[in-house]
Amino acid sequence: MMTAERFLALVAAWGADVRRWPAGERAAAEAFAAARPDVARPALLEADAVDALLHASRVAAPSASLRDRVMASAVEAGLHVRRGGRRWLDRFGLALGAGWAAAACAGVAAGVMLGAHLTADVEADAILYQASLLGVDDTEVLG
Amino acid sequence: MAPIADPDEDLVRRVGQGDPAAIQAMVARKLPRMLALAQRMLGDPVEAEDVAQEAMLRAWRQAPRWTPGKAKFDTWLHRVALNLCYDRLRRRREVPTDAPPDRPDPGPAPDRGLLAAETGFRVDAALARLPDRQREAIVLCHYQELTNIEAAALMEVSVEALESLLSRGRRALRIALADLRPGTEGA
Repeated sequence: MMTAERFLALVAAWGADVRRWPAGERAAAEAFAAARPDVARPALLEADAVDALLHASRVAAPSASLRDRVMASAVEAGLHVRRGGRRWLDRFGLALGAGWAAAACAGVAAGVMLGAHLTADVEADAILYQASLLGVDDTEVLG
Repeated sequence: MAPIADPDEDLVRRVGQGDPAAIQAMVARKLPRMLALAQRMLGDPVEAEDVAQEAMLRAWRQAPRWTPGKAKFDTWLHRVALNLCYDRLRRRREVPTDAPPDRPDPGPAPDRGLLAAETGFRVDAALARLPDRQREAIVLCHYQELTNIEAAALMEVSVEALESLLSRGRRALRIALADLRPGTEGA
């Protein structure tokens, strides 16, 4: 059973958002808050104010340059990038439905496929190129 | 011990096989998280980019030999990035500097955006002034949204000690930012 002391400690540490409370104590803490609003409400209000301040912090999203460097570093790290770009490129070409784009994609895909032993630079370029094509639909990549 | 369920398991396997789409997906999924972690731990955008890039490089090296079931890949990656952050924080202490790290110009912020930017700036500054361990606890639990068990394991402390760090950190922030009223910081 949740005590007032434990409830206050929980809110002081994890804030007012129930979803952040430790899963094992969440139900008991919610029950306590419902049963003892005289104790819970002031603590939750105070914690909510701190939560709101924390939410005001903003961080920059990765720049395109950083993303490119990181993707290129996969090859530098020794990953042997599969020559499996055709499926993606073909799908991209179909989605576009534009002859010139399909032709360009196929050309690049063919270029990527040609070498049995791609150099590291070319492999990195392949990743970056695919990223530039697929960047329009990250949800597809992430599933 | 039951194997740990890891939402990244399949993605890591595909990265290890050199699947270009998986590499891109890993970047989309993890780079923003690692960059945010480093930005809040270090308060320096340039150093944060270096840390995020190095952490991802190590992820690429680790992926082919990753053994699923022993740990979450995301937790491992946090450990790597945190170690890199602490290396830099240690170096800063060894080479004291008068100038605080540069902050990026938030740019034009019309209307309430100006207020939000100012509030965010104040919060970030207050976070930066917290003791390292309190800041780490808040960053891992509040911003990175790790569970209490994951964060405690990463910090190599008990869950009770983690809660103590969180409470003290939040109290310090509340005091430091007492003049800011909630609800004025914008979305």
